Amino acid sequence: MKKLSPKDMINAFLLFFVIHSTQVGVGIHGFQRIVYQDAKHDAWISVLLIGVVSHIIVIFMIKTLEMYDSNDLYGIHQDVFGKWVGNLLNIIYILYCSTAFFSVLRNYIEVIHAWIFPNLSTWFLSASLLLVVIYAFTGGLRLMVGISFFSIILSVWLIPMLIFPFKFSISSSIFPILETNIIPILKGAYSMTFTIIGFELLNIIYPFIKDKENVKKHVHLGLLATTVLYLSIMLVSLTYFSGGELAKTIWATLTLFSIVRFPFIERFEFIAICYWMLIILPNLCLYMWAAYRGFSRLVNISAKKFIWIFSVIIFIFSIAVQTRTQINMINNQFAKVAFYIVFVYPIFLYVVAALKKKFTSQKEQKE
Amino acid sequence: MKKFRFYVIFLFLFVSLVGCAETKILEQIGLTTLVGYDQGDEEKLSVTAVVRQVNPEAQSNVVIFTNEDATSKGTNIKATRQSSKKLVNGQMRVVLFGDELAKNGVHHLTDTLLQNPDVSNSLYTAVVEGQTKSLLEFQYENIEDIGQHIFKLLEQNIQEELTVSSTLHEVSHDYHSLGRDMAMPILKRDDQLIEINGVALFKEGEMVGNLSIADGFYLKLVRDKYDSGMIETILKGDDIPPSLKKNKSDEIPLVFDTIRSEKDFKLIDKTTPEFDLHLTLKARLLEIRTDINVGDPKTVAELEKAISKNLSNELSRVIAYCQEVGSDIFGFGEYYRSAVRNSKLTQEKWDELYKDAKVNINIDFTILRNGVFE
Repeated sequence: MKKLSPKDMINAFLLFFVIHSTQVGVGIHGFQRIVYQDAKHDAWISVLLIGVVSHIIVIFMIKTLEMYDSNDLYGIHQDVFGKWVGNLLNIIYILYCSTAFFSVLRNYIEVIHAWIFPNLSTWFLSASLLLVVIYAFTGGLRLMVGISFFSIILSVWLIPMLIFPFKFSISSSIFPILETNIIPILKGAYSMTFTIIGFELLNIIYPFIKDKENVKKHVHLGLLATTVLYLSIMLVSLTYFSGGELAKTIWATLTLFSIVRFPFIERFEFIAICYWMLIILPNLCLYMWAAYRGFSRLVNISAKKFIWIFSVIIFIFSIAVQTRTQINMINNQFAKVAFYIVFVYPIFLYVVAALKKKFTSQKEQKE
Repeated sequence: MKKFRFYVIFLFLFVSLVGCAETKILEQIGLTTLVGYDQGDEEKLSVTAVVRQVNPEAQSNVVIFTNEDATSKGTNIKATRQSSKKLVNGQMRVVLFGDELAKNGVHHLTDTLLQNPDVSNSLYTAVVEGQTKSLLEFQYENIEDIGQHIFKLLEQNIQEELTVSSTLHEVSHDYHSLGRDMAMPILKRDDQLIEINGVALFKEGEMVGNLSIADGFYLKLVRDKYDSGMIETILKGDDIPPSLKKNKSDEIPLVFDTIRSEKDFKLIDKTTPEFDLHLTLKARLLEIRTDINVGDPKTVAELEKAISKNLSNELSRVIAYCQEVGSDIFGFGEYYRSAVRNSKLTQEKWDELYKDAKVNINIDFTILRNGVFE
């Protein structure tokens, strides 16, 4: 593998934006309902819990990456598990990234269909989004990181909009605290998977960081920002909606925006939904990039060729999936797999990598 | 690479310029601003829609369509057949229910409204005494656009805290919540005027009773809180402290405004159940119809005490009435659920408990000031 020139690298503080923007995507639209189904009015504890877990997982991820200094997950796989098993794992990871890409894209199109343009054809939305992503992708990693940065800076103003629904809040809804048993709360945290994933891209972007000693700080800050955001949205939702209502609201975050009304703009949620394209753009770009990084290790392929093949496949799939039930099924299945890939696998990989390192260093000493 | 980029930009512009999304041109659409639902014949729904049409050459006009069908959307299709313009719901601001329909239940309609992404959750709902059709179709001399008029009427009164707030969100929040029932203002036509006449009480989406507009004050006091409310009350007979009983007239009418209220619930017994309700009110005395020296601190203290007593009497009367009709609009059930751990509260269980619920009212009333002339 050729050495990276400093020109291709990014500063560690940008990781904050990368991590935060890849975590926040389409899951945030309607995670409240899914968590509420299990954890009831203690759903916010589930959110807090999964936030803490994500911090712990990231510690393992960084430890594993530090062992290899400037290699990404794909390289680590090849080193730890050998060529064949390593490449098999790489293929799984590429498929995972592609599915994540597809899932974000299709869910966003579904939201546009359900809320604003029911007649607009899927192919049109999918093609135009893919073109934007292709355009960004050709600009390289630094440009995509720039998109993450601006995606957050330009959408920060959406957060204060929560004040409008907050005015209708009834605080008694979240009491008594911890009435739900621990098992349903854990289940609720588990159902947060689809919403909170995204930080695993650290595995791929790590070699590109210039000042690696600052990685930890900025990644954890990014995770913290996400957890605080999810927690505040969850608390507002729990107090704004009544229980029965929340269980029936599909995209609770968007419905929250529905109460916002300005003299010059009557229906704020329509703006928010359209604006959301900016929020999902880093998701799409970076997942595509992550898939490319893996794929280029397997097959010698130019970036240009890869994105066109990738986009055509995604495009065909996005047309094939038409109904809400299909989309939900994909989300659920994807979330199940994602839980193991994002929350279980890093610990396993760390243990294996650490053992291997110990083993080889002992060997070297003997020699 | 440069060439490639050019093609991408070209393709992007091509798609975005050719593939314009659905357009809704103002001159070609009719804006439904208000919808009234009535009970029609044989389980059917009669829907009256007030539609505002904008014409480029003439003044914009208001058209009213009335149709009957089994579903609300069915009537929408029928109305479209009669209209020269495409009817859209994006500007819907008020939904009215005829009282007959309200007694049969409105939750299907509120759920349908919520389901439709075109409809804003901040629209107002209200009950009409009699038929909404006759209220809307009446030729008012001074009202040009009935849809806008009713919207402004409700908005103004809700903002001034003269009646309960009943946005679609609040109504469906209360319907779907366990132990809190919904309430809506009641509208009534009074000759050439439309006025808010009271508050409709619901139980699980069905209207079970109503309160007068004066009693609506007490409802809001417990259910919500006041930031700048206004109330007129009359101190009668025993409420009046003897020291103030100068001129033998047994009534002291009083008006207060800029009321700020705070409430504090406490559940003291969960088997009966018994609540302690502590209310703190601060207000400005606006008008008093007797010769009482309101500059004297002793008199004021006595007056405050008398008012507190009067208010708590009125309030317990209103609560007793709501218990009688079985409508928990105050949200006692919600409070009970949040205060009792593992209560496993169900609607049936709460219905039983609510009937015998005891509420101890304790009101702390303070007159802050009384204008610039004593």
